[in-house]
Amino acid sequence: MVKVDESVETKIDEAIKEIFNADRPWVTIVWDDPVNLMTYVTYVLMELFGYTKEKAQELMMKVHTEGKAVVSTGSREEMEHDVARLHEFGLWATLQRGDQAL
Amino acid sequence: MTTQSSDEQHGFHRHGDNAFIAQFSESEREVLINLVEQIIELLGERTDNHVEDPLAAMVGITSHDTPPEDEVLLRLLPNAYADQVDASEFRRYTESTLRAKKYGHSMSMRITLKSAIDGIIEVDHDGANDWLGAMNDIRLALGVRLKVEQTSHEELELLAPDDPMRGVYAVYSWLGWLQESLILALMDEAI
Repeated sequence: MVKVDESVETKIDEAIKEIFNADRPWVTIVWDDPVNLMTYVTYVLMELFGYTKEKAQELMMKVHTEGKAVVSTGSREEMEHDVARLHEFGLWATLQRGDQAL
Repeated sequence: MTTQSSDEQHGFHRHGDNAFIAQFSESEREVLINLVEQIIELLGERTDNHVEDPLAAMVGITSHDTPPEDEVLLRLLPNAYADQVDASEFRRYTESTLRAKKYGHSMSMRITLKSAIDGIIEVDHDGANDWLGAMNDIRLALGVRLKVEQTSHEELELLAPDDPMRGVYAVYSWLGWLQESLILALMDEAI
């Protein structure tokens, strides 16, 4: 196998990462809310995103314990669509660039 | 977020593949109709007062680019961005659609309640989702009035018998329990 300099390898990794993330740099965040039931948040995440019960519960617990969680990633347009659907069901959601501090 | 403990009351239960049934007393039905009509009315207050560009209206653009001043409406129609410029832009293009969707959930809940015979409600999966969205909007609205953001459950449990908020809290808790019963019935199906 050809031996590649480690620093070059890192640069290639970064370049590849950038290419694949180029059109997916936005995130949808769900924020904790004292009104929404834990089961309701889980159900809405399953229903809107097609997540398994396990994944939806994991995200719900993250929102509950950490105050917020990224529930989906994609283009700005896709995230606007996700936020609009979450608002329709009363979840407190916002979108932002993925590289912005949460 | 919060949890809801169920007790011996009868909420929604599954009936076959795609039906969810609950039976309400006449007073419960009246309370639910009253609450859902208040949400419908509140959403209606947010419609635009002045004439709009018909083409803009056709593609869902409204003149609203500032968040509602009313605290309850603001919770029902929240900002999508922390950045105010982005939030305004998004609101102008999407708020009327969001209002229409919420109106649809509430109207669907109202119609099933109005047409109930012997207090029996039967909804399919889509109808159940309408009910969940509408019940949640009612709970969000009551939650703002009860100041649940700033008040602990313990404090709310200890409201004085003559405090008008005590009744509001009782309805809020009952709705949470009812909502939970429907979610559990729906989750059955997902497994």
